[in-house]
Amino acid sequence: MLIEINNITKRYVMGDNEVMALRDVNLCIERGEYISIMGPSGSGKSTFMNILGCLDTPSTGEYKFNGVDVSNLNDDELSDMRNREIGFVFQNFNLLPKLNAVQNVELPLAYAGVEAAERRERAVRALQRVKLADRMYHKPSELSGGQRQRVAIARALVTNPGILLADEPTGALDSKTGIEIMKLFDELHQEGNTIILITHEQEIANYAIRNVYIKDGSIHYDRINTNRTIVS
Amino acid sequence: MDYRENVKVALEGLADHKFRSFLTMLGIIFGVASVIAMLSIGEGAKREAIAKYQDLGVNNIIVREKNMTDEELNEVRAKFSPGLSLRDAEVIREIVPEVSSIASQAEITADVRFANRSVRSSIIGVTHEFYDILNYTIERGNFFSKMHHDTKQKVCVLGAGIARQLFQKEEAVGQMIKIEDQWLEVVGVLESKAIFTETVGELAARDLNTDVYVPLSMFLDRFTRGNALASEIQQITVQVHNSDRLTESSHLIEEILRRHHFQNEDYGIVIPLELLKQEEKERQMYNFLLGAIAAISLIVGGIGIMNIMLATVMERTREIGIRRAIGARKKDIMRQFVTEAVVISIAGGLIGVFLGISLSVLVSVFTDVSTYIRIYSIIIAFGFSVIVGIVFGYLPAKNAANLKPVDSIRYE
Repeated sequence: MLIEINNITKRYVMGDNEVMALRDVNLCIERGEYISIMGPSGSGKSTFMNILGCLDTPSTGEYKFNGVDVSNLNDDELSDMRNREIGFVFQNFNLLPKLNAVQNVELPLAYAGVEAAERRERAVRALQRVKLADRMYHKPSELSGGQRQRVAIARALVTNPGILLADEPTGALDSKTGIEIMKLFDELHQEGNTIILITHEQEIANYAIRNVYIKDGSIHYDRINTNRTIVS
Repeated sequence: MDYRENVKVALEGLADHKFRSFLTMLGIIFGVASVIAMLSIGEGAKREAIAKYQDLGVNNIIVREKNMTDEELNEVRAKFSPGLSLRDAEVIREIVPEVSSIASQAEITADVRFANRSVRSSIIGVTHEFYDILNYTIERGNFFSKMHHDTKQKVCVLGAGIARQLFQKEEAVGQMIKIEDQWLEVVGVLESKAIFTETVGELAARDLNTDVYVPLSMFLDRFTRGNALASEIQQITVQVHNSDRLTESSHLIEEILRRHHFQNEDYGIVIPLELLKQEEKERQMYNFLLGAIAAISLIVGGIGIMNIMLATVMERTREIGIRRAIGARKKDIMRQFVTEAVVISIAGGLIGVFLGISLSVLVSVFTDVSTYIRIYSIIIAFGFSVIVGIVFGYLPAKNAANLKPVDSIRYE
């Protein structure tokens, strides 16, 4: 079992009100799964993603990643978890504008303490994997949206993380480019990567093998996608 | 993430905002420059003072006749004081145990003539010991010897200034000059001396380079004083073995003179070392104030850095979020921003060092204030600027590190 989530809740205090963003969520994810987590805005889906991505910790409950209890880790340990095990792909790419493609991809390795030569080699390999080796020295501003997202995916892949956590990865792209990105995720899944797709669009969720639907802070359904969109 | 990469990131960050970075540095630049310039002015003044007192001799006690009007002179003579005399010098030599050497000098002002040129100058009769007591160096020829003195030779040694005025480019040594009605042979020319610009006690400020030195014995025989009441000699320079005994010795000398002059205070005693120490004390306070003012400007510069860094952190919240999401620890973010602040302050510090050195050179070239830059002042100023960078970079960096990754990654 790669991810094991038992009865987690997340409370926020906003002024005088206490908001329950997640209540009693249970979820298990096996290595190599391709799962979508869908829900309308305000459903607690982003909170759930933050916890899955070790950006935040649950108020109560247990989150085990590869057998390690993440809910009790301190800030440095969470940083290391994100560095090693989580590959983030964001809606708005979140590349550093001043660094070129390969430097952006190298960055997680720099924080992992990998030395410069090896870093470059692995970053180039990751860029080759997303078919962007020829744009290596371009800055994000010199790349198209689809290319930027592929740089971001390369950055997520470069550390060989336990999961790829994609948050609305096609949200800022036109539909044709979006399909290309989804095709890339499909390939990555076939290569054995575990992919978690966070989205509010049914259309995107349909690319995944398993669909989880969150509503009002708890899981509404969790089922195998029988209506899967296949990109060939 | 090692420090080299942090430095690289910081430099790139600064290069992106060249003008802003420059403005941020400005405070540090002026701070460092003013610390260096101020310290160099203080040091210049100190060196000037030391040079001045060294000319007077740090182991010396100088007894000098008081400047008196004819009336005052009449009064002290009426009270039986003969004025300073060779006998005073002899008694001091015999009684004061610490004395290593003693030089008497008598003076008149007279025209010195060579060919058709004439220069008004102080004619100073001294014993040969005078040359050893004071740090004079001879440029050409020799100072007159004990033999010259004992046999009352008609010889003289010229100051550098008067030698130039009288002889211009000609060789002075060996020539004959005329003072009053006496012909004297020039046996030596002194090296140029700093002009003695300040009056110290009974020692009036004057240009030492225009003096003409002659053997005292010959002087007393052949030169006549303008005033019949004039003392035999005008000054006694006493050199002691040990500068720790200066004060005691001077008390003893004062006691002797008071008796021999029948309680008439027609002389003054100057101890150059004491004056030097006193001046040093006053200057220390002054230098401290100057330094403090300069240090304040450095601190103001630091606040400037902090201000900009706080704004930078706000502006780069998203970047911080991204870095945190891909695995940067708080410590990494902290280091990145502290490095950036330190890079600003180091760059500012370097420019400031350059500016400070230029300023102090300009001051010494274009004003009569002398400056001297000591390496330690550069180290202090530069070191202080780096510390300012660390101190004032710390808070903004801490703010950056404490941003929550969850919030900062979505910051627009």
